[in-house]
Amino acid sequence: MNFLKFKGRGKARGAAAFVSLLALLSNTFAVGVAGAQEQRKQQRAAQALREDERIVHVLNRLGFGPRPGDVERVRRMGLERYIEEQLQPQGIRDEAVEAKLRALPTLTMSSSELLAKYPNPGQLLRRLQREGELPPELAALRDAQQKALETQARGGGTKSVAPVAPDANENEMSATMTDKPSADAEANAGAADAGDRRESRRAMLEYMRERGLQPPQRILAELQASRILRAVYSERQLQEVLVDFWTNHFNIFAGKGADRWLLTSYDRDVIRPHALGKFRDLLEATAKSPAMLFYLDNFQSVSPNARMPGGNERRRRLQMMNPSTRERLRRQAGGGFGRLRRQNPEQMRQQQPEGAGAAQMNAQQAPPQQQRRRRGINENYARELMELHTLGVDGGYTQRDVQEVARAFTGWTILNPRGYMGDETAAQFHFSPRLHDDGEKTVLGQKIPARGGIRDGQLVLDILARHPATARFIAAKLSRRFVSDNPSPALVARVADAFTKSDGDIRATLRALFASPEFNSAEARRAKIKTPFELAVSAIRTLGGDTNGSPQLHRWIAKMGEPLYLYQAPTGYPDRADAWVNTGALLERLNFALALVGNRIPGTRVDLSRFVGRAANASGRVAGQEFVIDEFLKLIVQGDVSPKTKATLLKQLAEPLDANAGAELSDSSDDRATKRNGMPSRRAQTSKGTTTATAAVGNPEVSRIAALILGTPEFQRQ
Amino acid sequence: MNRRFFLKSGGVALASFGLMPGAPSFLQRTALAQGLARASNGRRKMLIAIFQRGAVDGLNMVVPHGESAYYALRPTIAIPRPRTGGASAEAVIDLDGHFGLHPSLASFKSLWDERRLAIVEAVGSPDSTRSHFDAQDYMESGTPGRKSTEDGWLNRYLQAANDPKASPFRAVSLTQNLPRTMQGRAPALAISNLADFTIRAGQYSKSVQGGFEDIYEQSVGDALRGTGRETFEAVNFLKRVNPAQYKPENGARYPQGRFGQSLLQIAQLIKAGVGLEVAFTDLNGWDTHTNEGGARGQLSTLLQQFGQAISALVTDLGRERMEDVLVLTMSEFGRTVRENGTRGTDHGHANAMFLIGGATRGGRVYGQWPGLADDKLYEGRDLALTTDFRDVFAEVAHRHLGHANLQTVFPNYAPDASKLRGVIG
Repeated sequence: MNFLKFKGRGKARGAAAFVSLLALLSNTFAVGVAGAQEQRKQQRAAQALREDERIVHVLNRLGFGPRPGDVERVRRMGLERYIEEQLQPQGIRDEAVEAKLRALPTLTMSSSELLAKYPNPGQLLRRLQREGELPPELAALRDAQQKALETQARGGGTKSVAPVAPDANENEMSATMTDKPSADAEANAGAADAGDRRESRRAMLEYMRERGLQPPQRILAELQASRILRAVYSERQLQEVLVDFWTNHFNIFAGKGADRWLLTSYDRDVIRPHALGKFRDLLEATAKSPAMLFYLDNFQSVSPNARMPGGNERRRRLQMMNPSTRERLRRQAGGGFGRLRRQNPEQMRQQQPEGAGAAQMNAQQAPPQQQRRRRGINENYARELMELHTLGVDGGYTQRDVQEVARAFTGWTILNPRGYMGDETAAQFHFSPRLHDDGEKTVLGQKIPARGGIRDGQLVLDILARHPATARFIAAKLSRRFVSDNPSPALVARVADAFTKSDGDIRATLRALFASPEFNSAEARRAKIKTPFELAVSAIRTLGGDTNGSPQLHRWIAKMGEPLYLYQAPTGYPDRADAWVNTGALLERLNFALALVGNRIPGTRVDLSRFVGRAANASGRVAGQEFVIDEFLKLIVQGDVSPKTKATLLKQLAEPLDANAGAELSDSSDDRATKRNGMPSRRAQTSKGTTTATAAVGNPEVSRIAALILGTPEFQRQ
Repeated sequence: MNRRFFLKSGGVALASFGLMPGAPSFLQRTALAQGLARASNGRRKMLIAIFQRGAVDGLNMVVPHGESAYYALRPTIAIPRPRTGGASAEAVIDLDGHFGLHPSLASFKSLWDERRLAIVEAVGSPDSTRSHFDAQDYMESGTPGRKSTEDGWLNRYLQAANDPKASPFRAVSLTQNLPRTMQGRAPALAISNLADFTIRAGQYSKSVQGGFEDIYEQSVGDALRGTGRETFEAVNFLKRVNPAQYKPENGARYPQGRFGQSLLQIAQLIKAGVGLEVAFTDLNGWDTHTNEGGARGQLSTLLQQFGQAISALVTDLGRERMEDVLVLTMSEFGRTVRENGTRGTDHGHANAMFLIGGATRGGRVYGQWPGLADDKLYEGRDLALTTDFRDVFAEVAHRHLGHANLQTVFPNYAPDASKLRGVIG
């Protein structure tokens, strides 16, 4: 339906009305006529459209799809200039998104600060109990804990919604790998039990609040929100696409142990600064990141010859800390920890000599236990580093290489990964010469001399980053992401060449990719199925919607299949259509479209009236509908749908909605959720524009049109 | 599954819908495939995999009451020896003089007596990890020690026993998100509640769904068209099944809560004849580090829910259907033999699994029992492992589901007949 953009509106409307009329008489006939008409118009418009198609293509691939007005803006500034600007994001002003991000305080906190201020409640509760310091309100809670547990078991709630459950200290996600919405868990729990549980949770949260502590779920929720906000609002769209790409390439699962506390820094300090930089720098940043060291176990990989700290638990823990912190803790033993000590005095008690409590502590606090147990090499990181981060599975390395690389990375560890004892320097990278295997190694045929210390690992990264297999592997993944699921070998070879010639400069590699005929080919247009994250963000953008990135919005992304930071395996989400398109996922995509246009996602608002204000007031019903269809087709799919799709939409609208006019597309369960979340009613929030009782946002006909178009196969693609 | 059975089990839904011209194509294909399956190897087999997440204390679930070490090492949480003169809610329910069931699993006793319940002991992952995360990952991917496996073993089974005409309901997980074990290239559905599997637009749902159906039907040449068609067929079919009106049969009573409800919905799918082959669900909360309890308490409550839900499913499906259904339970690792200082147990090694259904050679405990003597314990603390979990999974895939190529389902595992325990006969 490209003609919509260039033909006079009146004429387009006339044609559509004609089609609509025919549709009432005979669907088949109507489709046939519309099709023929369409083809002719398309042929005529083809030449003129090419540039706009390219603009839309670039806005879809280098970003999360156009917002209203974006196509015109890029046309004015020139497409090549836009692409170059996107490749230099530091030069793009981005105040709007920065202002929104200020609502998310965790984003700027260090990992140790997060550990201290957002502690694991289960762990906190156990510690208080163990130390006989359970305040009365929590003693009652302890009794209720049993009940909570039973409820949790019955209700299937996850740890994340039941902070008082006896979390496995080692992996607070132990009970589940999924990101289950709390509403669901609550709905499943028996009403009485749910009441008890709410009570318990309230008591614990109250206890924490009084001490300035917050539940740890906030951390991941804010990180997810930040990704949504940036994708929706940032002008640095390509930067966001690359953050998404590299986050997935160097995937980490937030459900694994301490990683929930470590991912904020990973996103801020590791991925973002290097997303368009040198691959070698990005690689080393990930290798040294506590999040990756924890996720792939390297933090506990030690030379079999290493002298492990002996003695009791306390001494072992002190050994795992930064030497200066350790010294300070020793000095201050019995004294204060400064700010953190005042906030969280119970942490201090772990300092006290261990008597009968020692066994309990060992039993309960699994991470040091595991550190103790795992005396030796852990190959996980070494293997994934080569298989997934650099060379690729067919990159020509052997099991022997895996072992040698693992030796090279022994001693790359984390200081106090869980922030025990309120250590302010906790959860940082640390190279421990004592744990490092300092013998000679051979990696991919290259000798790494003995006694290299931390240089061993860095040399390995040099070898891997500059290996031709890595250039091919990264080129193939970038081509798959930006061009098509099955990029041609010729394209991959050219992109790999750009990667090698620029010594792994991501910006230069992308420049070559975007200039390639393959990227700019008609074949590449809409060749990619949007991921759920891309679909959700592009839908909000295309309607010019507003969002605060609420967990409810993220929950939709999760339901469609892509919860952020919650893919378990280090492979990251597959980047192929078949991973995203199946029966269940498609149904959720359609339901998401309905929830979005119906303003049923708390924290997210679209105002459809601004696009169709005039139409809503138009007298003739049919004319108004056609106008609305045309407007939304232009807005959502740039008028570019198959003639049959348009004919179908017209036919659909020829069938009046059977229910009361003025009501919205709603779903009673979602409405309940909205009320529970205390969001203001939709009525109160609707448009300030030209609305009357029947207009725009409140108009189910308008919502239906927008939802149907958001649900078209065309909009699932980019 | 023969056509008579198909008709009977599908009830109204199939009689009125499934085998008529214009019926959903997936159902026609399913009926066809079942016809083919019948010609070769009889009725369609089904697997219900249940994950006890958090690591159940297998030694208090299936109690080795014949071991004095069990009682010596668990002064406060051991389950008392079986009483002479009948079952007691306070004592082990004896099975074979050496092993017995936790009293909260009383409902399993009759299944054992009818030889429809088998137990595999000292089974688990050859990888020694005591991390929930890694151990669940390995058990679900079916590749212990290897993290980068992209898909789960159940999905690889679905891929390997490829059925291009499979129903969209061939693999269903009654969970919010698709579990690791079902992730992969083969289609699999995650449905937390059957009633939600529909277009949700309140009073306009019907008309909006009609619009989407038309749009996808028109999108000739788009690969999404097929997915769209299947989606709406599945939605429409489930509507006919009418999940809200389901009444369990044979007096079966499912316990309240998500777990019971998910098994109820699995039973519903099986009876509706939607082409289900592999179902999955899970139950959380087994990580009993503190106050685990003995015959009563935390673990007991969970076991009761676990046992009652499974027994209700078996009762509801009835004997004839259970001939084709196998329930397989698993948990990432066992727990320490010794109780800890907080009357609980910590992360251990080998564990126990249940296999329930007409296909099992029940009434027996399988696997070599290593014993609980000090020198028999793994790392001096845990039940030692004598059966690789893949030995059991492979047997299920091979002997129950009838799939021969185990190499692709379990890469880096050399399947051979001697590893199969003979649980399925």
